[in-house]
Formats: sequence, structure tokens, C-alpha cells
Amino acid sequence: MPEAEEMINLAYLTDAERQLIMEVLHRDKELRMAEDQRIQKLKADLQDIKRKGAKRSSGRYSQRSCGRCQQSISRLSLGSSQCRACKHNVCRNCRAPCSDGSCLCTVCAKEADLKKSTGDWFYDQRVNRFSTKQGHDLVRSSLKNRPPLKKRQTTGEILLITSTELQQKAPSLAPVPQPRQRKLDANQEEIDEAESSPAGSKEEEEEAAEGVESSMGHRSYSVPGLDIQDEEDEDIDNLVIMHKKTAASSACSRRSSLNTLGSTMSIYSEAGDYDSVDVSGEIVYSVKYDEHTQSLVVFIKECHDLAYGDAARRHCNPYVKCYLLPEKSRQSKRKTKIKRNTVDPVFNETLKYSVSRLQLLGRSLGIAVWHSGRLSRNAFLGEVMVSLDVRDLDAPQEECVALMAKTGSLALASAFAQYKGELVISLKYVTPKKPKTSIRGKKANAEEEGELHVLIKEAKSLVAMKAGATSDPFVKGYLLPANVKSTRRKTPVVKKNLNPHFDHTFVYKELSLALLRDMCLELTVWDREAMSSNEFMGGVRLSTGTGTSTVGKDSVEMDSVGEEVSIWEKMMQYPDSWAEGTLPLRSTMGKKDK
Amino acid sequence: MTDGDYDYLIKLLALGDSGVGKTTFLYRYTDNKFNPKFITTVGIDFREKRVVYTASNPNGTPGGKTFKVHLQLWDTAGQERFRSLTTAFFRDAMGFLLMFDLTSQQSFLNVRNWMSQLQANAYCENPDIVLVGNKADLADQREVQEKQAKELADKYGIPYFETSAATGVEVDKAVITLLDLVMKRMEQCVDKPPAEPANGNGATKLSPAQPNEKKCAC
Repeated sequence: MPEAEEMINLAYLTDAERQLIMEVLHRDKELRMAEDQRIQKLKADLQDIKRKGAKRSSGRYSQRSCGRCQQSISRLSLGSSQCRACKHNVCRNCRAPCSDGSCLCTVCAKEADLKKSTGDWFYDQRVNRFSTKQGHDLVRSSLKNRPPLKKRQTTGEILLITSTELQQKAPSLAPVPQPRQRKLDANQEEIDEAESSPAGSKEEEEEAAEGVESSMGHRSYSVPGLDIQDEEDEDIDNLVIMHKKTAASSACSRRSSLNTLGSTMSIYSEAGDYDSVDVSGEIVYSVKYDEHTQSLVVFIKECHDLAYGDAARRHCNPYVKCYLLPEKSRQSKRKTKIKRNTVDPVFNETLKYSVSRLQLLGRSLGIAVWHSGRLSRNAFLGEVMVSLDVRDLDAPQEECVALMAKTGSLALASAFAQYKGELVISLKYVTPKKPKTSIRGKKANAEEEGELHVLIKEAKSLVAMKAGATSDPFVKGYLLPANVKSTRRKTPVVKKNLNPHFDHTFVYKELSLALLRDMCLELTVWDREAMSSNEFMGGVRLSTGTGTSTVGKDSVEMDSVGEEVSIWEKMMQYPDSWAEGTLPLRSTMGKKDK
Repeated sequence: MTDGDYDYLIKLLALGDSGVGKTTFLYRYTDNKFNPKFITTVGIDFREKRVVYTASNPNGTPGGKTFKVHLQLWDTAGQERFRSLTTAFFRDAMGFLLMFDLTSQQSFLNVRNWMSQLQANAYCENPDIVLVGNKADLADQREVQEKQAKELADKYGIPYFETSAATGVEVDKAVITLLDLVMKRMEQCVDKPPAEPANGNGATKLSPAQPNEKKCAC
């Protein structure tokens, strides 16, 4: 375009004319900023709605469940139909009717609304038109080395920026108006990348204000775009469960989903926080695939001759917990009811997984029997692994299989095999009668006893537990073998952070160095789940590394290694000074029973 | 005014020769006042107005949902010396009021030029346009006949209105008609099934870039 240079160049105008135009542009900017704010609110609304949804294009789901709330849709239900945009089958509640009789699911309907209300319908078309000219050379040439214009950038905006630069008044004027984030459309490649997130916009404004032109191109690509997808992912598990909980209607799905909310104890199994017994007995079950409901049906019939979960009281409250492996998450967990006071429980319960047949390839079922200790800890009573590959799922056969023990030693050997991140801590033994009041205002006990101060500084490179590559970590501490409850300490939760800074101190009182020598400090990192049991993210066990400590009837081998030992010894060696260390997290806290 | 309490921000733009009455037209529309003085617009300006838009039902009857629409009405200088500046603003508008002066044959003849300017610079090649013949109140000085203008509008397939900023006749109707066109287009854009079927659209999209890449191959 021949007039390209002229267009941005206002030099041919008189000062007065330029002044007038600038005033108009500033008024326009105000309008644009109000519009930006409005749009951000709208996008937040969309995210809210999206979060309620469950099925994703990437995921694999049964055809017979609602694409949004994941309610099962029975074949007879007339209430379901396909969203014409995302092609998910959705139930009556997750549907917005369209004028032409077809239907859209709530999320797609909201997305369409958003395209209208944000003006994206317009900007998308405009981009299509001008992107063929390589980012609108008209604007580009006049903007020198700037990246191709942003999708939403208007002439007024560009003019305002450039004329401000011309006048060399950059710091006082025209911060780049916040570009809007969007990822609704896959077509927009480069332009979308140039869109920046709200998080990045501050940085952007600063840079623009400094007039760092050369960094502009780099900037707009380096600022990570706020990806709605990411936002959507976060806490989705949670919301799914909540949603299912509130919306469950069919008895079957209700039971299974409620069960996933079940005990907090089961999840502790990964952290090794359970009692061990000598495994005995067998389990009777059958597994089949139900084509009609597109689900894997696990029928748990009964168990025989289980070990007593509470051996001392010859007491056992067994239940069966099942995972569709390799997924060992809440979504994959199903449990039976607990049978009271029996070692020959009869369950006759059906556990269902809504899953397509193809997705069963290479997977297996982990069926474990547990004792539910109402006041004490749960106990593992044995398990069986059922490979689904080699089974005839169409002709279910009742099977009676001997329960197996957990491969505890294997788990222990590989406790560090899997990288789970690191924990940075400082330990200090505060000697009696010489209390350091400086330490977070905690005074030592006036008695003859000293204190152990454990400063949880931070965790690094944690492995995300939640979808969306995030977690809400906190650290829990136990000093063993003292009474578990009285030594439990927790840090506050740090939200959405895989490198959380806790800077939180646990204080254990009434201790002596002699006592500590035989003690063991367990620090475990957990992912906070508001509506369900927290998930174990890793842990460390600090001790001298030899001997066992006995917790109740359970004994813990103080299997500390490397830094876990050296920091503990340093703490005892140099009382009243901090021993600091960065410790690799174990992937399991599994204990060997002696 | 810009409190963000609206459902849609719709940007319209008035264009046409200098002196056809774009500024007074918009002033009449937003403030319902008439300023007979001619003050030439410097480059660009805009006015705003909040309106309630009632969507028509699928069957064409009114009475659908109502929306609050914030109109940003761009006013452009008709003068040639601002041309490069004003045309650059074409790309930001969703709909256009193409105006001429009913008392000036030349301004009407220039509609054709403005049309091609629009086609070259607007967000798409066939944007929503309303043709407006202004100064209808000056009947004795009229140079452009309604039939003539109507024919041109029909040729382009756009609505035509004869308005008077002085009396206000048809001013609202012209703007609302344009708004209606824009809103309908918006619905269409969003409503139409995703333009790309899965089969290899990506490949066809890449093809325009290939000529450039061939340079490297040499």
C-alpha cells in the first residue's frame, strides 16, 4: 500500500491538528480500556462454566455420558442430544436450545456468546483478511520492527503509540493498552501468540513506557498467553466430583462417585501411613465389560479368611478398594461398603468404570482389601492384580484368588527412583534453659527439656498432582515414635505452586538430644484437595538412619539415607544453630514391617 | 459513558466527501441536535451512544432478546489531505454509513470511489454498509434523485436512506438499520459451523506461504 508511511506519520499535520487527533485517540483509549475490563469479566464467566464441564476433546470418554456433567445418559433417555459444535452428547441440563432446533451444549453456547460480546467475531474475520498480507504490511512498515499487529489492535491504538514515540514522551504517555487474551480460535497462530496475558501486561506496559522498542518483538512472544485451557484444567477433578455429587441421579453412578469421596485413609496408603498385617485369605470377584452401558463392571462377591486388621483385638472391618491402573487417582478409585467385624465379608457389590472398551487395553485392575480402623489406622489386608488384556471380558467368570502382600521392599528400594522434587529445610535443636527467643517468638519450655525447631523453607520442582500441571502443596510433619496426633504439624497451603515457599516453623517441645537420637522426623508434602482427600506428593524421613522406632504396634524402620541422615546428625551435633539441607523427596513413605 | 455496562460494543464509521454532513448527522443521532455551522473535521473523531437493541426472532418478528449496545460512531474527515489517516480507520469499524450530499452531484459520484476504498480497507471485502443521502430537507437544491441513488444502492445490495441532520428525518433509522445488519452478521459469524472440516484444511492454509519458501529451495 502506497500510503503506508503516510498513514502513521502525522508529521504533515499542524501542531493544532495533531493535538486534536491525540485527544480523540485518548478518548478512544479510555473506551478501549473499559472494553478490555468488560471482556476480562466475560472470559472469567466462561471459565466458570467450562470448569463445570468434564469431557475434553483430548480425553476419552464413554459415549453414554453427558459431555459436560458426565452424568450417564441412558439409551432410553430422550433428554440427550449432540451439541452441534463440540459433538459431545449432552444431557438436558447441559444444553442450550438453538433457534433451528439443533442444540448446543452450555459451554459451546457460552463460547459463541463470548465471540459476539467480545467482538471476536469481527477481529477474527479481520485477521483472516489481513494476515494474508503478512501481518498487514501497511501497519508493519510504519511500525518498523514491530511484530505483526495484534488481532485486536486498532488504528487508534497504533497511532497513539507511534505518535507518542515520535514525541519522545514515552514514560508519561500511552502504556500499551492491555491486549486481551484469547485462545478460543485455533486459527490465529501468530497473532494469538502476540496476545499477552493479564499477568504479562504489567511488564508490557513498563517496557512500552521505557520505549524499549527492540524488545517488543521478543516480549510479545515470551509473555505466556493465558490459556483458557490451562485455567480450565485447574481443579477440574475437584469440580467434577463436586458436580457429580450434586447432580448424580442414577443410583449406580451416584454410589461410585460418592465413593470416590470416601475415606481419607486410603490415600495414605501411598504415604505408607497404614498398618501392616500378615496377608491371608482370598477374594471372590468377577470382571466383565458391559457393552450396553459402555462400562467395565467389577463384581466383588466376597472374601474368605482375611487377616485381622486389628490383630490385638482380633477385629476386622474389611472393605475392597479398586483402582483401574495405571491411573491411581481418585477418578480411578472405587470402593465397596465396609463390613463390620468379620474376616469373611460378603460384599456382592458392583463397581463400575464408565470407559470405552478400547481404553482397557494395557490396563489392569488393582483390587485390594483393607481394614477400616475407625479410631486406629487402616490396615492393608492383601490385594490382587487383574490384567485386563488377557481376560475374556464378555464371558465373566467368578474367580477366587489368594490375596497377595504388597511388595513393600520393592517400593522402598525405589523410593527415590522417581523424582518428586526437593524439600529445603533447616533444623535446630534449642538447648534447655537457653531459649532463643528470636526464633519466631517461641520460647523454650522452662523445664529441663529442649526443643526441636523445624523450619520448612520451600519445596522445589514438585510434581503436579492436579490436572493443569498444578498443585496446592503443604507440608505435614510427624515426629515419631511419639504419639502421632500430638506431633502432627502442618504448614499453610500454598496455592497453585510447584515451587512453594512455606517459611514455616514446626516446634517440638520437651525433647532431649538423647531422645532425638532414637526419633525420626517425617515430613511429607501433600496436594490440598478441598473436597476430597489430599494427595501425597513426596516426603523425607530424617533420622540417624539406623534402628527402628515403634509407633504403637507398628514399627518404622529409620531408613534415612544421605542428606536425611547428615542433616539430622548435624542438628544434634550443633545445638542452637541451624542445620540446613535440600533433600530429595521420596515417592513413597512405605515402611517395612519387621 | 464508558462504564462497561453493556453487552456489545459496536463500532460504526461514517465516510463520504467533505461537507456532506457526516459530523452533523452523527451529532443529530447522538445528541438529537443540529449544528448548522460547518466545522471541518480534523482527521478523525468519534461519538458514542448507548442503545437498546431488540433482536428479531428467527421467524422475523421482533420481540426477541434485548441487548444494551454501546455504539462507537467514528466520524472521518472527508478532506483529501486526511485520506490516508481516515482510511486506516476503516479496518476497525464493523459497519459503515456511506454518506453523500443530496445537493451535490459530485459527492454522489464519489460514492463509487468510497466504495472501493471500503472494499480495500475494511475488515472484509463486503462489509455492512448503508448508503445515506443527507440534506434531504434542502429539496430546492437537490441534485441527486432518489431513483438514481436507489439504483446505485441496489447495485451494491445495500440499503439506502434519505436523511436530514437538520430535521432529523430518517437519521435514527439509517443507523439502526446498519446496526441491525451488523448484529445479524455477528450472529451468522458465530452461528455458522466451524469453517474448517477436519480433512486437510491445514494443508490448504499453508499453500499461500509456499511461494516464499521456494526462494530458499533455489
